[in-house]
Amino acid sequence: MNAIDTSIDSAIRAAASAIVLENVSKSYDGTTQVIPPLDAELRAGEFTVVLGPSGCGKSTLMQMIAGLERVSGGTISFGARKVQDLEPKERGCAMVFQNYALYPHMSVFENIAYSLKVAGMPKPERVERVEAVAKMLGLSDLLARKPGQLSGGQRQRVAIGRAIVREPGVLLFDEPLSNLDAQLRHDMRMELAELHRRIGATTVFVTHDQVEAMTLADRILILNKGRIEQFDTPKAIYHKPASVFVAKFIGAPPMNIVPVTGDGKVLRLADGQVLVECPVFGDYQLGIRPEDILVGEGPIKAGLRYREDLGSHAILAADLGGNLLRIATPFGADIGTEANLSLTFPPLRLHLFDAETGRAIPGAFSAQ
Amino acid sequence: MVENARSLNLVASAVLFLGMLYILGPLYLTLTTSTQSYEFMLRNGLVWYPGDQFFTNVIRIFSETRIPQQMANSLVVAVGDALVTCVLSFISAYALVFFPVRWGSVVFASILATIMLPLDIRVITTYQVASNVLSPINALLDIIGLNGLIAGVFGAPVVLEWSVLNTHFGLIAPLVAHGTGTFLFRQFFLVLPKDLVKAARMDGAGPIRFLFDILLPLSRPSFAALFVLTFLGGWTQYLWPLVASSTPNMQTAVVGLARLAPDMEGVMPDFPLIMAGAVVVSIIPLVMIAVLQRYLVRGLVLSEK
Amino acid sequence: MSSPTQALFANRWLPVLLVTPLALLIVIFFYVPIFQAFYWSFFLERPFGGGSIFVGWANFARVLSDPQFWEAGKRTVIFMVIGSSLAVLVPLILAVAADRQLRLSQPARNVLVWPKGVAGASIGVIFAFIFNPFVGILSPLNQWFPGIWAPGIDGTDAFIMLIAAHVWSGIPFNFVILLAGLQSLPRTMHQAAAMDGAGAWRRIFDVQLPLIMPQVFLTLVLEFTESVTSAFALVDTMTKGGPGGSTNLLVYKIYVDGFNGYDLSGAATQTAILMVFVVLLTGAQFAFLGRRINYER
Repeated sequence: MNAIDTSIDSAIRAAASAIVLENVSKSYDGTTQVIPPLDAELRAGEFTVVLGPSGCGKSTLMQMIAGLERVSGGTISFGARKVQDLEPKERGCAMVFQNYALYPHMSVFENIAYSLKVAGMPKPERVERVEAVAKMLGLSDLLARKPGQLSGGQRQRVAIGRAIVREPGVLLFDEPLSNLDAQLRHDMRMELAELHRRIGATTVFVTHDQVEAMTLADRILILNKGRIEQFDTPKAIYHKPASVFVAKFIGAPPMNIVPVTGDGKVLRLADGQVLVECPVFGDYQLGIRPEDILVGEGPIKAGLRYREDLGSHAILAADLGGNLLRIATPFGADIGTEANLSLTFPPLRLHLFDAETGRAIPGAFSAQ
Repeated sequence: MVENARSLNLVASAVLFLGMLYILGPLYLTLTTSTQSYEFMLRNGLVWYPGDQFFTNVIRIFSETRIPQQMANSLVVAVGDALVTCVLSFISAYALVFFPVRWGSVVFASILATIMLPLDIRVITTYQVASNVLSPINALLDIIGLNGLIAGVFGAPVVLEWSVLNTHFGLIAPLVAHGTGTFLFRQFFLVLPKDLVKAARMDGAGPIRFLFDILLPLSRPSFAALFVLTFLGGWTQYLWPLVASSTPNMQTAVVGLARLAPDMEGVMPDFPLIMAGAVVVSIIPLVMIAVLQRYLVRGLVLSEK
Repeated sequence: MSSPTQALFANRWLPVLLVTPLALLIVIFFYVPIFQAFYWSFFLERPFGGGSIFVGWANFARVLSDPQFWEAGKRTVIFMVIGSSLAVLVPLILAVAADRQLRLSQPARNVLVWPKGVAGASIGVIFAFIFNPFVGILSPLNQWFPGIWAPGIDGTDAFIMLIAAHVWSGIPFNFVILLAGLQSLPRTMHQAAAMDGAGAWRRIFDVQLPLIMPQVFLTLVLEFTESVTSAFALVDTMTKGGPGGSTNLLVYKIYVDGFNGYDLSGAATQTAILMVFVVLLTGAQFAFLGRRINYER
C-alpha cells in the first residue's frame, strides 16, 4: 500500500472555511420532516464525522451542505457566505461518493481534470494540477487507465483526487470506505487522516461505522431521526454519552442498559436487587460499559449464560434480573460455565439516563 | 455437470437443424431462383441448384424497374427513422429521468401507449392527418369560435393546409411517433449509478454538459442497438409507405418489390426477376444484421424489459 | 433514504423543451388519428368534400350488420390465436434447444435473427412463389394428386401459407427474448434440480418453462397485437384477402374499404372497433395472466 507521499510541498492546500447550519430543515412532501430544524457549527479546518444508523438523515444533511439537495428551511453558511441557494459548483466544496461515481468512459486523468475543465481552466495549468494530485495520491502511473481497470483502493484514490484537485474549502465524504475490504479500509483511514492534516480543508465525513468515526474525527456529530443526539469529541462521546441512543451506538459490545428504580438511597432492579447507591427517586435507565464491570467479589449477583473467548479478552453474557448483561474481562480469567457471578459496578463508571427521554443525567454519580 | 442427456441433446440438435432449415430454406430458394431464367423456371419449376442468370436478372432489376430509386427512398426512410428516433427518444428519456418533471409519469405512459396500437391499425386516419397536418388547428379554431370571428371580420375563415403525403418527411414522421426508443433509453438511464449525476453536479457540470460529456458517451451501445432496430423497422415497413406515397418514385423498395408481380390472373409472374428483386431489396438489412448482430440482439432484449 | 427528486437538475423549461419534439409527433401522428377514428365513426363524410354529418351510432349499426365484417373479425381472431401460439411455441422450442450449448447453438442463434431483415412484404412475395401450386415446392404433389395444394382456390391452404409466413417473420424477436430469459436463469437452479434427481428432460418442464413464463407471457401479449396488424403485408402480397374472403383479415378489410372503397366512415368505425378490441385484449391479458406468473427472484 502506497502511503501518501509527504515529501512534496503542499501544492494542494485549501483555504478552509467554517460551516454554520442554522435552522436547517428538510422535508420532501411538505408534511413529514426528514430533518427537523437543526443548528450546528463545524469549525474551519475541523474533521467532523456525521454518524448515525441508516435512515437517520445523515446523507440528506450532507447533500444539503453539498448543494445537491435544497434546504426546506434555514440557512447554511460557508465562512461569511450564505450558500444555501447556490449551485454545488458555486459553493466551493467537493465530494467523494460511496460508489466513487467515477465517469467510466474517461481516463483517470480526465476524471480528475473534469471539474477543472468545466471551470474553464487552461490545459497546461490543468495538467500541472492533476499531476500534483496524482503524485500526492500515488496515481501517477495510472493516469491513462480507465476506472474499470483499477482496483477498489485505486478507484477510491481517484475519487479523492477528483475532489481535492479543485482545492475546495469544504471536503465531503459520503461513506467512502464502505465498499473496501477490512485491511484496505484500515489503510485508507490512516491515509485520510494524513490527507486531512496536509490539505486542511473543513471535512465532513458521513458514515455508520463507529470505528471510522472514533479514529478520524476531531468531533463526531451523532444523528438520530434527523436530530442531533450529541456533537462532541470522540473521547467525550465515549465517556460521557448524552443519551441512551449514543451510549448504545458507540462501543463494541455496546453499553449495557438496565431499567432501575430509585428510592432516594439506592437503585434497584425490578426484582429488588440493589445495584448501587444513588439518592434519586423514580424510574431510570442505568448504563455501564462491558469493560467497566469488575468480576470476582462483589455485591451484585448474575448468572453466566455463555462466554466468547476472543483471544485478547473474553465477552461474558450474563443474566441480571432478566436483563442481558455483557461483560468484558481479560482473557484467561478463571470463570466456569453456568457459574454464578459476583460483580461490582464502580460508581464512577456508571451512567444514569432518564427513563422517558433517554437523556443523560449529568453528575448523578460524580458527587459521591 | 456429469450427466447423460444424449437423447435430449440429439433431439435439440435436430430441432435447431430444422429451425435453421425453416429460416434458410426460403432464402436459399430465393437465391437459386434469382439465378434462373423465366423460361427455365416455367419448364422446371422450383430448383435447388443455382443457374447462371443472376447478373442478368439483377441488371434487369436495376435497368427495368424503379427499385434503384426506391432503394434510395428506403435508405432515406430507414436512416431518417433511425436517426430521428434515436435523438428524440434520447432527449425525451433524459428529460423524464433526470429532471423532476411534473406529470412525468403521465407523459411517459402516454408515450409508452404508442406500443399498444401500431401504425398499421390506425392507418386510415393517420393518412387523413398526414394529408393535412394542420387540420387539428383548423378544427380547434372552429370549435373555440375564433374562425367564425375571423370569417366575420376578414370575409373568410382560416383554413390552414399542409400535406406531408408523398414526401420523405411524411414517410418518416409517423414511424418516429413511437415509444420503444424512449422506453429503451429510460431503462438504461435508470440503471446508471445515481451518484453519477451528483458527481457531475459537484464537478460543476450543468444539465447540458452532463448530457454531452457523460450521458452521451455512456449511451453509445444503446444508441447502436436502437439504431439497428429502428433502421430495420423503417426498411421493412410496408403499409405506411404504400399509402403515404402516391407516385412510384416516392415508394420504398419493399413496396416496389411487391408491385413487381402483375395483378393479372392466369399469368405466371416472372419469379426469377422478382426473386432477384427480393435479394437486392433484402441485402442491405441482412448485411447489417450480419455485421451488427450483437447490437440487434441487445436492442431486442432491451426493448422488452 | 433516496427520494425520487434527489439530486436531479432543477431546471424547469429544459425538460419540457426536450420532450416536446417527440410528444408533438406522437400527438399528431398517434393521438389525433385515434381521436379521428372515433370521431369519424360517429360522422358520415361526403366523399368529395362538403363536410360531415353527425349520424350517431348509424355507422356502427351498418358495420355490425355487415356479415363480411363478422367474417373478417372471425378470421382475424383465428389468425391471431393460431398464428400467435405458433409464433411463440416454435421460437420457444428453438430457444430451449439453443440453450443447451450444442455445436449447432451458435450458428442457430445467428441464423434465427435473419428474418428481422426481411420485410413482411418480401417474405410474402417469396412464400407466394415457394408455395405457388404450379412451380412451387408443392407442385410435384399436385401432379400426383391434382388439386390437393391450391392456395388460390382453397381457403384453408391460403390460411396455412399465411401462418407459415407469419411464424417465419416472428422468430427473431421471440427467439431472442425467450433465449435471453432462459440464459438469465441461474446455473445453480439447474444444479439444485439435478441434485433433487430431475433429469435433463424433466428439468425443462419443471424448472425452465415455469421460470420463463414471464417472457412467454410478454411475447404472447406483443404477438397478439403484432398478428392483428403486421398480417397486412402478408395478406396483400400473398392472397389479397382471397380466395373468397378466406384470408380477408380486418386490418386488410379496413385498408380496402378505406383506400379502394373510399368509405372513410366505415373504415374508421372498423378501426375504432379493432382498437378497442386490441386495448381490451392487452388489458385482459395483463389482468388475468400477468398476475399469476410473477416470481420474486
